[in-house]
Amino acid sequence: MLCSIKSPAQRRYVIRMWVAAGLCVLFAVVAGMAFRLGHPHGVLGYGIAVLPALPIMWALYYTGVYLMEETDEFQRNLLVQSLLGGTGGILAAATAWGYLEDFAHAPHADLIWVYPLFWAFAGISYGVVWARYR
Amino acid sequence: MSSRVGSPAKYRFEDRVLFFVVPLFFLDAILGIWGFHYHHLHPDGALAVVCAALQSSPIIAFIVIVGLYLAGETDDFQKTVLVQSILRGIGVTLAVTTFCGSLEKYGFLRQMDVSWVQILFFVTVTVSMLVSRWRYR
Repeated sequence: MLCSIKSPAQRRYVIRMWVAAGLCVLFAVVAGMAFRLGHPHGVLGYGIAVLPALPIMWALYYTGVYLMEETDEFQRNLLVQSLLGGTGGILAAATAWGYLEDFAHAPHADLIWVYPLFWAFAGISYGVVWARYR
Repeated sequence: MSSRVGSPAKYRFEDRVLFFVVPLFFLDAILGIWGFHYHHLHPDGALAVVCAALQSSPIIAFIVIVGLYLAGETDDFQKTVLVQSILRGIGVTLAVTTFCGSLEKYGFLRQMDVSWVQILFFVTVTVSMLVSRWRYR
């Protein structure tokens, strides 16, 4: 997959995103095991709970770096539009679901799903934008 | 106001926010406060879905308006500032929701309403815009 990417900035971005995704899964597993086996509480508990959020900050920081490094304006626009689509999608879905939870007794949605859903919406948006420019 | 607005694209952006997003937001607020909290309306079935879609309409309108602004703005600097603010906003929002989600899952926090996600996003984007303006003043 990496061989097909011509831009060095894009290649670095894809590698960083995979590393961030891997770290996110790893930290989530570590946090889950720590809570299941060690039952940490207080500051330690909060410290362990923050672990899965760190790769997210890292991933979005490097998304900003990629937007600075990328010289191809088309690729930059493609990513920005996808991220906008992802943002709009997740905010709209979260608001609608929150409303349904409050007033129509829909089942509770865990906040932990917001991040994967954001990338799902961004992925769909990327496909739509890409198809539009083909 | 005209002296503050730099480009036609930004002028259109502010107009669209003022005439589409703000009325939709107030309509939602009125519906939420007057209808659901004061009169305790509990729509169900298709009406609940329509009301839920109405609640999220200001966000969709705002995102479409931002997309139109980015397409129309010729000043790269202004575009970069907005994109950076949105990125910071979504970064903080996703990190906070994941953190709170973990706390919720392991019993440190009571169940949180997912509709807070949009408020968190708009607050962080606004703070980020203000910080960028101050930084590049």
